[in-house]
Amino acid sequence: MSSFIPLARVAVGDQPYEPFVSKNNQFIVAFVLLLISLTLSGVFALNRSLISLPVVGVPASLAFG
Amino acid sequence: MRLSTLLISGAAALCASVSASAPNATRDQSRQILLSEFKPPQVFENTNLVRNVNLEKGYPRETINVVVKNVDKEPQTYYYLAFDATVVDRVGGLEVRNKKSEIAEPYQIDFGSFSETDAVNFYRISIDPPLAPSADLTLSISYTVLSALTPLPSVIEQMDSQTVTYNTSAYAISAYKTHNQKTKLRFPSTNIPDYTTLPSTSSDNPSDPTRQGASFTYGPYVDIPALTTAPISFRYEFTKPLLHAPSLQRDIEVSHWGGNVAFEEHYALHNRAAALKNHFSRVQWQMTQYSSPPTTALKELRIPLRAGSSDPYYTDDIGNVTTSRWRPKTGLLEMKPRYPVFGGWKYTFKMGWNADARMYLKKAGAESYLLRVPFLEGPKMAEGVEYEKVSVRVILPEGAINIGLNTTVPIESSEISIHRTFMDTLGRPTVIIHATNVVDEWRDKGDLLITYDYPWTAGYRKPLTLAAAVFSLFAAVWVLGKVDTRIGKK
Repeated sequence: MSSFIPLARVAVGDQPYEPFVSKNNQFIVAFVLLLISLTLSGVFALNRSLISLPVVGVPASLAFG
Repeated sequence: MRLSTLLISGAAALCASVSASAPNATRDQSRQILLSEFKPPQVFENTNLVRNVNLEKGYPRETINVVVKNVDKEPQTYYYLAFDATVVDRVGGLEVRNKKSEIAEPYQIDFGSFSETDAVNFYRISIDPPLAPSADLTLSISYTVLSALTPLPSVIEQMDSQTVTYNTSAYAISAYKTHNQKTKLRFPSTNIPDYTTLPSTSSDNPSDPTRQGASFTYGPYVDIPALTTAPISFRYEFTKPLLHAPSLQRDIEVSHWGGNVAFEEHYALHNRAAALKNHFSRVQWQMTQYSSPPTTALKELRIPLRAGSSDPYYTDDIGNVTTSRWRPKTGLLEMKPRYPVFGGWKYTFKMGWNADARMYLKKAGAESYLLRVPFLEGPKMAEGVEYEKVSVRVILPEGAINIGLNTTVPIESSEISIHRTFMDTLGRPTVIIHATNVVDEWRDKGDLLITYDYPWTAGYRKPLTLAAAVFSLFAAVWVLGKVDTRIGKK
């Protein structure tokens, strides 16, 4: 992490960067994911078992992430 | 044992001092130290030289067009550009181009000599391709000088007009003999109470300088030896603030998930205009604001942002400053400082805004990106703003690799560092660019081009780390729930 690589003359098309989730949908996507995560956490809290740990815990944590 | 401890602590102290001085070391590397008694070889002659000094802003902008002739028998590569030692530290934005070919890139410039004792310092310009014997080349040299104007008198009444002094030389200081030269100066107004008159050199001009309205012409002068100066000084009216920023820190943060580029700028402004003779009178200030007379105080900063910018904010040490207006359609941000900034007063503030990533970021390949951001934005003022130290930090997303930088702006040094912020695991690669003696005209002239690769796996590092943390919490809850805490037999 000390020096720059020489900048090659890259042929850049007129292709602007588009994010995976567009700016207008950020709130709704994040809200739905958080809701799923909290619901699944609640389900896991009521029914703590070795099976529900991967079945409910994994999607809950992924949704939170 | 004791000796080895001493050695280890000594080595650690040495390492610490080396790492602490590293940024300065990189900055100094651009300065090639020559012998203190260095004299440039007299292999060139200036056939014709015209120097233009524009004083319409708060800093002088000098443009020198010079026809250079190689008088040696060998092709020559290095042309030395001389500066007075008192000025050289304040010279910025130096560019030397071949005047005849507009497409050619500026020549490479190295700082040639830097010694406390030298009266004249040199920049070394590498002419590529080398100039053949007896051949001519027209160079266009342009630069600005910071803190060059001094208010005289240094204290004035609140609504008085201001006059400033400017000292320079009637001859363009050059490392070579100059056959024919003249100096033209352009002032912001025709009110120039004092200026130096030199003995006339030609029968055509009864006086030197020749004056035409707000323009002065000194010369023509014939056969001036190398490193000759003829001091001249001026005092002219300039009832505007002299805006000087000792430091500007500009942060540009790129977010791929958010599709956002966030800008934030930290300004330290200082008005170099004449100080107030008496206390500031709010009553007098308020009474005169209706007619808006010329003043040396900074009343308003107008910052044109790129159209499409959003969510601007403007705060200072106290908090949000409400005296600002945002025009989203044109992207113009009009900000009033918390108080009128008179001569000698300072004002520090912070401003920032957001923009869509698509305005600045382009895909250059499957996983490689090209970021094109302006080197400088900030206030666009009639009187100009000068920045002593500018540091631009471009914070790239975590996991960006193969970083490349290209710019036409005369920067002093650049480095890659790591910026750590909330929930980062590795930290974000950050391109830090340092520049000194910059003026506001660079806001329209130079972009920073940064290329980097950003593998898709890097984008999922943070969500997966967070998911792992939450999952470990679930697992811990499950394990703790299994612990039998009952008292007595099962």
